Amino acid sequence: MLTVTLITLAAATMLALAVAAGSILGWANRAFYVAVDARVTRIQSVLPGVNCSGCGYVGCGEYAEAVAAGDAAVNLCAPGGASCAQAVAGIMGVDVEPSWPYRAIVHCAARFDQRLGRSEYRGELSCSAANLVAGYQGCTYGCLGLEDCVRSCEFDAIHVIEGLAVIDYRKCTGCGACVDACPRHIISRVPFKASRILAVACSNQDFGNDVRAVCTFGCIGCKACERVSSLFAMQDNLPVLDYDSYEPDSAPQAEELDKSIEKCPMESLLWVGEPAPEDILATADEELPLRAVADFKTTVDQAEWRG
Amino acid sequence: MELFADLLLIAVGAALINNFVLTYFVGICPFLGVSRRLDMALGMGFAVTFVISVAALLSWTLTEFVLRPGAPLPSMVWRAVAGESADGAMDLSILSYIVYIFVIASSVQFVELYVRKFFPALYKSFGVFLPLITTNCAILFGCLEVMKHVHSREWGLAESMTMAIFGGLGFTLAIVLMAGIREELDLSDVPRAFRGAAITMVTACILALAFMGFTGVGANVRDALLGAEAVEAVIEDAGPGDTAKSLGTTEPRPRD
Repeated sequence: MLTVTLITLAAATMLALAVAAGSILGWANRAFYVAVDARVTRIQSVLPGVNCSGCGYVGCGEYAEAVAAGDAAVNLCAPGGASCAQAVAGIMGVDVEPSWPYRAIVHCAARFDQRLGRSEYRGELSCSAANLVAGYQGCTYGCLGLEDCVRSCEFDAIHVIEGLAVIDYRKCTGCGACVDACPRHIISRVPFKASRILAVACSNQDFGNDVRAVCTFGCIGCKACERVSSLFAMQDNLPVLDYDSYEPDSAPQAEELDKSIEKCPMESLLWVGEPAPEDILATADEELPLRAVADFKTTVDQAEWRG
Repeated sequence: MELFADLLLIAVGAALINNFVLTYFVGICPFLGVSRRLDMALGMGFAVTFVISVAALLSWTLTEFVLRPGAPLPSMVWRAVAGESADGAMDLSILSYIVYIFVIASSVQFVELYVRKFFPALYKSFGVFLPLITTNCAILFGCLEVMKHVHSREWGLAESMTMAIFGGLGFTLAIVLMAGIREELDLSDVPRAFRGAAITMVTACILALAFMGFTGVGANVRDALLGAEAVEAVIEDAGPGDTAKSLGTTEPRPRD
């Protein structure tokens, strides 16, 4: 008798509590209702959700809100690519202009051996620290090779090979984290209109002789490319390729570009992007080290922590 | 005066001497998770204080009238069922934990709705940590503390609420101190091996050690309020009013 009453009473208590809490929460849900744009949640669901901030907003959630509010373009998501832009545009009911995937380009081609005039460096092994030190290497514009960009990349798409940052275009999503991480600003994002695209692989703004003194590759500002192709414009002693007017399918442009590469005395113009099938075939039997060990490490650098 | 002294003692005890986080080590996850920025920590502290107060109010009411052994409501039902001659007391305290968790979850849900409506910026900065207050053991600890003292017929509503509010404020104090230290830590040169979680844990431990210094304050507070005779009388009594003992503070130091 006692037990039966106890169990009944316990069940009744729980039921009464559930009813009470349910009605209070139900009331609160209506009284404190916040209208959320249904499009925000739908946009969020089609975004990749990697929160890379490549679009200029803190995370995917904030970008979704900005798009729904009409403050942001629908095609800013670099990791999502064209399909994502299409989906967002569909939700917003607008047409998306065909946009090209943006990918990072390193504007430096000099590997460790090709950079000259460096002194011993015993400081912190990061580019931002080395950038503060005069005389780390001769060229004050080029890649420092201490992997700030590698650490910034969430997609494992960038590696320092023989002291030079090299982008793995099969993994690069164009989020732009490395662009912000590089203290020398030698990485930029450009629209990849073809799987292989031409890049100016030098950032040295000095005049010819000064460049030659520190690098065997660097652009000496001879303007040969500018004379051959109208796509190049000289800026601070460097040719800048006009990616907006660059059309990979146009035959005359391709011819001009080929000619400019031929004319470039310093090999500062490079094709970057995913390797062409014939390139892969040509190097199939070679075994390339994934990461060359730089020889500038001293025993002091073995210590993990200093100061 | 007696009640006031008891309340003050409970307040000081819950906020400083037996700080939830730094002495009992409950509510560690928000303490370490949301203590990165001062404003967020303050918001979290007040949210927890509010939830713990609501939960303590509800759990005191439920414990006093429904859940404790011999509570009026079930006893009434039992007498109605079995007649006046009914023997055997009604004890619904088996339901305590599930009822407390239920109450906590509901009040957290309520707070979430409220904060979302009236403090959207705070809501955004909390992120996942606001619903996580549900599983914040500091709040369940508060409810269980109330249960313990209601079962032993020591605390009324005033004592319970004092414990809850000042326990919440003690949590706020701890998390705000931690956030302040961590904001400074961001700018300081921490050895690499200690960076991140490690230095946070070490800081928390040192903070806890510092709070151990409050041990024994309770007796002195009571001493100052009621005079030495009252303290000795109460301690000899060891009756229900002996809050210094029930709060786990140490015996008064020998007077020299």
